[in-house]
Amino acid sequence: MTAERIIDVLRRLNLGVAILVGVGLLACAAFVLTDIVLRQVGNSFGGTDEISGYVMAIATSWGMAFTLLELGHVRIDLLRTRLPGKGRAITDLASMLILTAVVTLIAWQCWPVLANSLKNGSTANTPLETPLAWVQTPWLLGWVWFSLVSWATLLAAAMLVLAGKLDRAEAAIGAFSEAETLK
Amino acid sequence: MISYIAIGLLSLLTLSIPVGIVLFILGIGIDQFFTPFPLLRGLGNLVWSSSNSATLIAIPFFVLLGEILVRSGVAARTYAALDKWISWLPGGLIHANIATATMFSATSGSSVATSATVATVAMPQAERLGYDPKLFSGAIAAGGTLGIMIPPSINLIVYGFLTQTSIPQLFLAGLIPGIALALAFIVVTAIICGLRPALGGETRSFPLAEMVRALVDLVPIILLFAVIIGTIYNGWATPTEAAAVGVAGAFAIALAVRGVTLRMLRESLTGTVKITSMIMLVVIGASFLNFTLSSAGLGNQLREFLGGLGLDPLGTILVVVLIYIVLGFFIETLSLMVVTIPIIVPLVVAQGFDPIWFGILMIVLIEMALITPPVGLNLYVVQGARRQGSMTEVMLGVIPYALVMLAMAGLLIAFPGLALWLPSVL
Repeated sequence: MTAERIIDVLRRLNLGVAILVGVGLLACAAFVLTDIVLRQVGNSFGGTDEISGYVMAIATSWGMAFTLLELGHVRIDLLRTRLPGKGRAITDLASMLILTAVVTLIAWQCWPVLANSLKNGSTANTPLETPLAWVQTPWLLGWVWFSLVSWATLLAAAMLVLAGKLDRAEAAIGAFSEAETLK
Repeated sequence: MISYIAIGLLSLLTLSIPVGIVLFILGIGIDQFFTPFPLLRGLGNLVWSSSNSATLIAIPFFVLLGEILVRSGVAARTYAALDKWISWLPGGLIHANIATATMFSATSGSSVATSATVATVAMPQAERLGYDPKLFSGAIAAGGTLGIMIPPSINLIVYGFLTQTSIPQLFLAGLIPGIALALAFIVVTAIICGLRPALGGETRSFPLAEMVRALVDLVPIILLFAVIIGTIYNGWATPTEAAAVGVAGAFAIALAVRGVTLRMLRESLTGTVKITSMIMLVVIGASFLNFTLSSAGLGNQLREFLGGLGLDPLGTILVVVLIYIVLGFFIETLSLMVVTIPIIVPLVVAQGFDPIWFGILMIVLIEMALITPPVGLNLYVVQGARRQGSMTEVMLGVIPYALVMLAMAGLLIAFPGLALWLPSVL
């Protein structure tokens, strides 16, 4: 598989993930809304806060890789933009390598959280008594996914830089101008 | 330790490593070099507990709300209606820019979204009607910053989350300064254009019947604001739940104007996921840094440092303001906020200042940072929406508005009641 193809596949996969996450957030909003209405008539699901929290944790971890490929994670590119093409490619690769290492460490450190919940059969300290492993498993998988996508993107970008395709590499791991970042 | 953080932060950021990742690295560094405790073991739990938050889910909700309004064309209608109502002032359409930005601030929680919205609908008009591009685009960039001051505000949610301050109180505190800023922008524009008519375009007036008809287009946004704020202060819903109500409201409005398509939905949802994850990487990184800093006893070090300076409370605040203005030139605003909160807020509170008041003062300074070059997000957003002209024009155009913000910061310091009165009576 060529490096361009890898990036392309990663982008498509993550677009699908992002749509799913978005739908999940929308469903959560609908759930919260229903609860507010029910509360006015004296009824309530209870535990919407707790569930919203889980949705947020899972949505956050799964959205990370999509944002990475959309070049959405904010970087200060004061120095970067002043570098010539090669220097910029090296800065981007170095920054991507550091990101990948840190994200891998995060995913690694998240495992004990789930492992503990599994070992102790922990449940949330709430009326719902949600078994934490149920919600921490998808949460952890999101961080693992972020780390895997980072490695794949890093490798693909390194291949592109080595092949001299600096433009393509920049499209994969560069930075948009400040304005684009948040659009 | 303070110099380690300052130097580490600046050099890692200059290498253009993503801001959230830089915060993690600094936290890990503090763990390795400054504390005897194995803090890294707490990393996983921190990532879980800081993202498993019913408070923070308000962020994707408010982002989604804004995305829906923009992508369904509601923004463009609002702009046209406001144009009919206030373009008779000297400066004409520039006032519509400010007013539209103010109204959208009241529904969306983000400054960049607000100025992007207004810039997209306003810029074509400026070119057609022959406005001086400087003041025109400056007004959009500055007006857009109100998005983080007038509730709901994502930045205030993040501030409340990191400092354990009441978010409804912060929202109330931001209301008067936010509206005052909007009015001051309008007054300043009218004065400038009264003195130098060439800077504004023609003033326009419309027949009364047309003005009244245009009101229909303002109703949805006003209603949406009333519903969001009303549900919070009637005790029906928390800010988070109100955000969910807002999403439903925006959706209903979009349906009413037939702005809902499958493509618009997909773009709104993925846009929301992208912005949310971007914000959350920074927030989680900041929580971890926060945790290591307090474990390493930063508080004591800061107190000693300040004791050594021998500043009185007013002196401290002035130093803090200066720090924000200088850093604001170079650091993107959310990062600026999140990076400085763990260090500055305890220091300010220890001097006896109210954390809610300081949150609002900080937002004014952050708003300034949004429009001060070289790193001023709103400048780029507005420039991005223009099809011609140089960035310098936008930068010149924001100067009067940046001065108004500075004056507002001064007023807040002199009269803390500007922010604290409303939360105290409600």
